[in-house]
Amino acid sequence: MNGTKSSAVHGPQATSGLRILTLRVNGSVYRCAAAPQALLLDILREEFRLVGTKRGCDMGTCGCCNVLIDGKAVPSCLVLAFDCEDKEIQTVEGLSLEEDGHLHPLQEAWAHSGGSQCGFCTPGFLMTSKELLACNPNPSREEIERALSGNVCRCTGYQKIVDAVSLAAKNMREWKEGGKQ
Amino acid sequence: MRLPEFQLHHPTNLEDLKDLTRKLQASGDCFDFIAGGTDVLPNYKNRLNPKTQVISLSKVQGLDRISPTCLGAMARVRDLVDHEDLARVFPGLVEAASLVASPILRNLATVGGNLLLDTRCYYFNQSEFWRASKGYCLKADGDACLVVPQKEICYATYSGDLAPLFLVLDAEFELHGPKGIRKVPAREFYQFDGIRRFVKNPDEILAFIHIPESAQNLRTGYRKLRARDTIEYPVMGVAMGLMTKKGKIEQLEIALTGSEAVPLWYGDLGFGGEPVGEDTAEGIQKALLERVKTYKNVPFPPGYRRSMAGEFVKELFLKLA
Amino acid sequence: MSHPHEIPNQDHGLIGKRIPLIDAFRKAAGQAIYTDDIQLPGQLVGKILRSPHPHAKILSIDTSRAESIPGVHAVVTGKEATNHFGVLPVSQDETALAVDKVLFIGDNVAAVAAESEEIALKALGAIQVEYEPLQAFLKMEDSLEQVPEELRLHPKTVDGTNIHKQVEQEFGDFDEAYEKALWKKRQTFRFIGVTHAFTEPMCTIAHFDADERLTLWSATQVPHYLHRALAKVMEMPMHKIRVIRPTVGGGFGGKSDPFPHEMVAALLSRKCRRPVKILFDREEVFYSNHGRHPSKIEVALAIDANKKISGLHVDALIDGGAWGSFGVVTTYYNGVLANGPYRLPNFRYRGRRVYSNKPPCGAMRGHGAVNTRYAYEILLDEAAHDLGIDPAAFRRDNVLPPNTKTINELRITTSGIGECIDRAVEASGWKEKYGKLPFGHGIGIAGGFYISGSALPIHWDKIPQSTVHLKVDLDGGVTIHSLAAEIGQGSDTMLAQIVADVLGLPIHFCRVFSEDTDTAPIDLGSYSSRVTFMAGNAARKAAENLRHLLIQAAADLTGYPAEVFVLRNERVVNCTMPEIQVPYLEAVRRAMKDCGALQTSGCYQAPPMGGKFKGAAAGLSPTYSFQAFVVELSVDLQTGKPKLHDVWAAHDCGKALNPLAVEGQIEGSIHMGLGQVLCEEFAYNKGNVLNPNFLDYRTLSPMEMPRVHPILVETCDPEGPFGAKECGEGPLLPILPAVSNALFDAIGVRFYELPITADRIWRALKRKKKEEAKSLV
Repeated sequence: MNGTKSSAVHGPQATSGLRILTLRVNGSVYRCAAAPQALLLDILREEFRLVGTKRGCDMGTCGCCNVLIDGKAVPSCLVLAFDCEDKEIQTVEGLSLEEDGHLHPLQEAWAHSGGSQCGFCTPGFLMTSKELLACNPNPSREEIERALSGNVCRCTGYQKIVDAVSLAAKNMREWKEGGKQ
Repeated sequence: MRLPEFQLHHPTNLEDLKDLTRKLQASGDCFDFIAGGTDVLPNYKNRLNPKTQVISLSKVQGLDRISPTCLGAMARVRDLVDHEDLARVFPGLVEAASLVASPILRNLATVGGNLLLDTRCYYFNQSEFWRASKGYCLKADGDACLVVPQKEICYATYSGDLAPLFLVLDAEFELHGPKGIRKVPAREFYQFDGIRRFVKNPDEILAFIHIPESAQNLRTGYRKLRARDTIEYPVMGVAMGLMTKKGKIEQLEIALTGSEAVPLWYGDLGFGGEPVGEDTAEGIQKALLERVKTYKNVPFPPGYRRSMAGEFVKELFLKLA
Repeated sequence: MSHPHEIPNQDHGLIGKRIPLIDAFRKAAGQAIYTDDIQLPGQLVGKILRSPHPHAKILSIDTSRAESIPGVHAVVTGKEATNHFGVLPVSQDETALAVDKVLFIGDNVAAVAAESEEIALKALGAIQVEYEPLQAFLKMEDSLEQVPEELRLHPKTVDGTNIHKQVEQEFGDFDEAYEKALWKKRQTFRFIGVTHAFTEPMCTIAHFDADERLTLWSATQVPHYLHRALAKVMEMPMHKIRVIRPTVGGGFGGKSDPFPHEMVAALLSRKCRRPVKILFDREEVFYSNHGRHPSKIEVALAIDANKKISGLHVDALIDGGAWGSFGVVTTYYNGVLANGPYRLPNFRYRGRRVYSNKPPCGAMRGHGAVNTRYAYEILLDEAAHDLGIDPAAFRRDNVLPPNTKTINELRITTSGIGECIDRAVEASGWKEKYGKLPFGHGIGIAGGFYISGSALPIHWDKIPQSTVHLKVDLDGGVTIHSLAAEIGQGSDTMLAQIVADVLGLPIHFCRVFSEDTDTAPIDLGSYSSRVTFMAGNAARKAAENLRHLLIQAAADLTGYPAEVFVLRNERVVNCTMPEIQVPYLEAVRRAMKDCGALQTSGCYQAPPMGGKFKGAAAGLSPTYSFQAFVVELSVDLQTGKPKLHDVWAAHDCGKALNPLAVEGQIEGSIHMGLGQVLCEEFAYNKGNVLNPNFLDYRTLSPMEMPRVHPILVETCDPEGPFGAKECGEGPLLPILPAVSNALFDAIGVRFYELPITADRIWRALKRKKKEEAKSLV
């Protein structure tokens, strides 16, 4: 799926500076025309319509817009889109692509543990958690809390989010060890 | 929130970068460099002194090395945290890196960006609308300071976590600019006030941080004050390097962040050769407190922040001794 | 209750089951659609011009330059829609945009709809407004003064002041109780404002379409009130307006008013006939505020010779900011909701809510009850301490019994307060810890109670407070229509669980449509912790009516009398001869024979209750939740920084319909309450909000959170759906005083001002040390 530029988004006065932006997101190539100052978050949501990534604070302080760039969770509101052209980007929509369309173990665990209430912070938390489990497949509660401390949730008090990451880590270890599924 | 319009440049090596800055300068354009973006972009969103030309350093090769003697300015703060050699040699530096902002911001933030962090102030780090309603300040769009009313000096607070460690380690900053390469000792780098901040010229980039091998003799530590154990900038940070010999202070280096407009190096405060112990710790605490200044422009009351500098320096001394 | 229909659905019933919320998978997949995720064809960007002055007359607004900018499609000002609105009929003091005066920095002055954010912002900059600044009222006390008319924020105030609402009540004889008290104390408490800080910024899309109908998508907790307010401001009949509530990214009371930006989007769309989206920056969310009122509360407590609470006097001065919002209710709640969970024979209250030139305050989780609860529970702790009684035992000895009436005529039915105290004490090891932990380490307790839905509706229409419609067609799926707003608290799941349980179906048969005023029957919305109790009861009745149709169908098919049938496991079963069964789908088809799709309805209206005095309705609820929390913490004596270790949170929720969801509410309430007691501050610098961002408005991160041990106390309320009561707000109340009381146990200092930040603790420790040194001399 290739995004196409709608000139309204960045405004006529920016038209002169538009350049073709090519990004690799969730394994697919996306292309659009964008202003040089375009932020990754705006491009993902407004050009590519990958709206699972949420806009929370615009200042990198809530983590709702976290995506993985080359495997690292970062707030996409503080990333210039043109800085990402040679990078691999993953959004929440990409999590299930790795599981043949099924929910990722983190997503399953999130639902079963009560990790989402309003759910607005969930995509960002999932991306941060994915990075954590890639580096540390068996994190302690304290390590999870530390790893997630750049993400804000106002509903859960974080306890069930930590439960969810612990459960996902356990399931992922077991599946890996047992070769199940 | 959108960024203001600018032209974005992506040099891929230091030579290209030099050419580019020369060209922009010749055409009279003002420009900023952007590394991780975690400081520049929020400030740009708030329309704080944005430029029409921005040079992204993200594709410049060779600036991300990490070793106990040399750090590339484009090394991510997160990579410092994960670096085992560095953790062994300079635990204080790695501790400070691990306390920068939050994990997701450490993934973006660079060492150079942290060292060149713009100063912070309640009257400055606000939106265009906010500042217009309050009245602009000296540091952006106005002509008077709103913290200490006068028109000369900006009192915004320097809030980087890494700088005091490099002051302690007596590092040298390698600057690359169109006129060539120069090295400036970290201890001479930060100067002036909250606007000018350091001796780097606008057309120079901070490329490398060199740490003398002798610094490896120091035991290092860092203590940071903030309300939550994440996200926030230090509202007081104390770094220390200590070497003792036969129960006496051989070398002591103390530096502060989160107090004044620049990070400050205090050396040994005159305690070289003093015996290690509670009395000396209290003496250091007292001596430091006489020098620390804080202003009411970031979270927490100035008096508390000042007192914490004393508490931390004492604690660090006893811990590292 | 011996009717066979009431045989509990034991083998597969859903009530009390720990199941994922029905939208949990969608949300985890990133597939839930929030308002900002919607992009309509031709949609424009709406932006609001805000006031840079805290209080000023608008002399003129010139929009001509803005209108001429290419890409600008509409510009509106306040004069174009002057009808007042507000969530309460008694204080309709808001307009879509300021008409003659601006009342706070950030107040809405004009708005534009343009093709891009950049153009919209440029157009805002081109609007010229001439202001005449007026004296700003920024301190509560200043608003108590009588002032000339032009300095009053609104035409309707108390005696020419800027007091919005004043309440005085007395029950019993407080003075006498205070006079005769064995222990008494009067103390003033100060509370800074706090705000909801939901993660999803406000967002709304209005589309005035070719049919001249207005559709408004908005992140709201109260689609019905929004519907009404739109009709009033737009001067349109309600049936021409449709409100849709997409997935809401958190509310906590902060999305429970109809808002000016919703009116503004509608006005812009009507003007240019294109969809207009207004999405707030985080800073604008702070200007919208509606958070908890900054308060100064003086409390006097009397304990009699029997060591029983004998009198309480509360004098609350609360800062409402620029508008009324829910403020009349807040003014009452600050006093009224001190009448539990302890027996209180003499009570005097004065409440005053003032207008000030700051963003408006309103309802926030624990609405109106939180600050007075803090003050009351601190004084109770002091009394127990001074009298040498264990504070847990002291509270236990003073609890309200079940099935009683408070002195202000609140009808108390079930109460689990005693069990809450007992179980929190037991689980925490209270007896081994209280007063016995080393200096710097402490344990504290506090109690609370809260309404489970306001018994009296805001509007005096004689219609049910909640109605639920069910529809079943050939596929057998049960469509649940309700306007109870799912805001993350799990109300959709609650409705589905109840309906599925009554019908003996797995939950996946149920689909909840709770977002659309065109299809849903009216429900008053998600505020005052009313949804589980009221919409839950309505859903249960609707499901029972549907069950009746299915049983009749089974009776018709089998020839057995209807009385013997029950529904379970997707079957209608003859419970006297279980081999006689009709599969669910067969029963549905039979029941549809003469009428097509099955439709049933259920509704809830609170029974009459309460006294006859003025303000008697405030605080009335068909039932109340109760709670007792124990907190264990320690203090870093060097920095003053507190570290929370554990919270044992016992909450009487009547019946935990879904323990996973109830625990989530308790844990989330604790997070929010801890924020208020420890670090959250809605701070001002003169009229400017000092910290309108998530860096400086500090909500607790995962690293500061204690381990929370929820303890679910079930008193099975006879009027609640399957016995359930609220669990979304009450659990916020006790955490604040419990922390403060634990701090006293840890370091021997009482805190009368919130938040209790590290520097305040550090200063208190220093002062204490000095005083101790002095007393030794």
